[in-house]
Amino acid sequence: MKKEEIYERLNNVFRDVFDDDSITVNENTTSNDIEDWDSLEHINLVVAVEQEFGMKFNMGEVTTMKNVGEMVDIIMERKNN
Amino acid sequence: MGLTSFTFLVFVLVTLVGYFIVPKKIKWLVLLVSSLYFLFYDNLTFDIVGYVLIILLVAYIFALLIDKYKNETKKAKILVVLSVLIILGVLIFLKYTNFIGITIKHIGNIFGFSYKFQKVYRNVPIGISYFSLIMISYVVDVYRGLCKPQKNILKCALFMSYFPILTSGPFIRYKDMNELYEPHKFDYDRMCRGLIRIAWGVFKILVISERLAIFVNFVYANYLTYNGFYIALAAIFFLLQLYTNFSGSIDIIMGISKIIGIDLPENFNGPFFSRSVTELWRRWHITLGAWLKDYVFYPLQKSGFIQEIGRFTKKIFGKKISKKIMLYLAMLIMWILIGAWHNGAYTFIIGSGILQFIYIFLEDMLTPIAKKINSKLGIDSETFGYKLYQRIRTFLLFALAMIFFSAPSVGKALDIIRNMFVWNPWILFDNKSLYLCGLDLYDFRVLGLAIIVLFVVDYYKYIGKDVTSWLFKQNIVFRWIIIYSLLFAIIIFGCYGVGYNPANFIYRQF
Repeated sequence: MKKEEIYERLNNVFRDVFDDDSITVNENTTSNDIEDWDSLEHINLVVAVEQEFGMKFNMGEVTTMKNVGEMVDIIMERKNN
Repeated sequence: MGLTSFTFLVFVLVTLVGYFIVPKKIKWLVLLVSSLYFLFYDNLTFDIVGYVLIILLVAYIFALLIDKYKNETKKAKILVVLSVLIILGVLIFLKYTNFIGITIKHIGNIFGFSYKFQKVYRNVPIGISYFSLIMISYVVDVYRGLCKPQKNILKCALFMSYFPILTSGPFIRYKDMNELYEPHKFDYDRMCRGLIRIAWGVFKILVISERLAIFVNFVYANYLTYNGFYIALAAIFFLLQLYTNFSGSIDIIMGISKIIGIDLPENFNGPFFSRSVTELWRRWHITLGAWLKDYVFYPLQKSGFIQEIGRFTKKIFGKKISKKIMLYLAMLIMWILIGAWHNGAYTFIIGSGILQFIYIFLEDMLTPIAKKINSKLGIDSETFGYKLYQRIRTFLLFALAMIFFSAPSVGKALDIIRNMFVWNPWILFDNKSLYLCGLDLYDFRVLGLAIIVLFVVDYYKYIGKDVTSWLFKQNIVFRWIIIYSLLFAIIIFGCYGVGYNPANFIYRQF
């Protein structure tokens, strides 16, 4: 799976979870950049991403992911191995 | 050993001198010896040593085993669950036996079977609510691959018992605490910063908290006579007392740790400038919130149980509502646990648990409505006046919940609240009524001034500025005037009372 494809699909997930079609994520996007991305919404986002890509994050990753770039790295690692 | 007692002062001095004069290699051992001395100072009995040893050994051995079996997920999972259950078991056995027993008795009464329960009183190690959860996070972090296990059991023991955090936190994580084992050299600049932080903490406790306690204790003990606005004022004072006591303890602790060379995570960040209860909990007891988020809230939200409920409710109510149901269910469980963590009593489960949940729930529900009303009426929510209204509202809601926190029973708390609804505002202005509750005009003036200083300093913290760094950039004369003012304020205005006996640190019992 290519990075570009992952970002494209992630954009749709983010737009759907946060009900905001103007969201476009890149590797440096963090929860500070998206108003509704707080600790209460974090798991909703994680679960939506898992469903989109048919993979699972472990709890260590869920609690330490710092930006979308790290999220994409994990997705790539799971999907390409 | 109270944090503002003479014994503690001597203890800290001996620890610091010892730490800085011994050779590099054994510096951490000095911290370990001091920490164990502190841990067992008030209570050295076989059972206490036993409980501490069980938690230490379980965390130490299981972490090593989990790391060994990290490639065999099932085995590692069983091990982590088992270790968490044992540590929680000790905590529940020590702190929640009476609560569980009484609850079963009450439920029994409702359903018509009688269950005889006698309260039990056990020796409880100081700081158990902190170090048991800290060790759970250690084992879980090893399981999650976030840190390597500690092979040296004495170093593991130091992490568990590091004395500054035993009285009132903050919660620390093993992966962030490498500094514990590093040999730190004495640093004059660091010492000055640490001492100022300690002095600020002592100021908060002795000048503000202890003084407020006199009024609060008097009114709550005589709430039938001193009702109405006396109780309202006492509720506000209690929240300020709790905050200055708790955050003051944290200041002392962080100052001491800073002098050693170990920076601890911040636990407060200008909580009273929060515009909602939701925001307040991001600024109040921050490390407890972070702990619960990582080890309870997220795993719970992601668990099969909650996700299953989500799938079920999605079919009936649609996506949006089902998301909310999952969120609130996980939140309700977490808030009950936060309340219960404070103490196994319904007053805490209501005051620092369920009521907080209700506030946050209502905020979430009402915010969109308020936004609509504001935009229709053309009210700008970013003006000073509107923000002030939100802040006062948040403060008062929190103060109301803390009546439960301060009361000996739910019935008493409700009684106190009922007696608050008496119209007697003149007691605030008639220039005599307020002085009947243990504080005179002089005390009120000192309090007023001290609380203004507190809010100014907190405001700087709230907007992300470090007051100590600001102070250190100032001209030397001005800097020392401020420092001496703080010290003299503590000496002159500190509440030492007759045969001074510092009130128990409110957070120490947890």
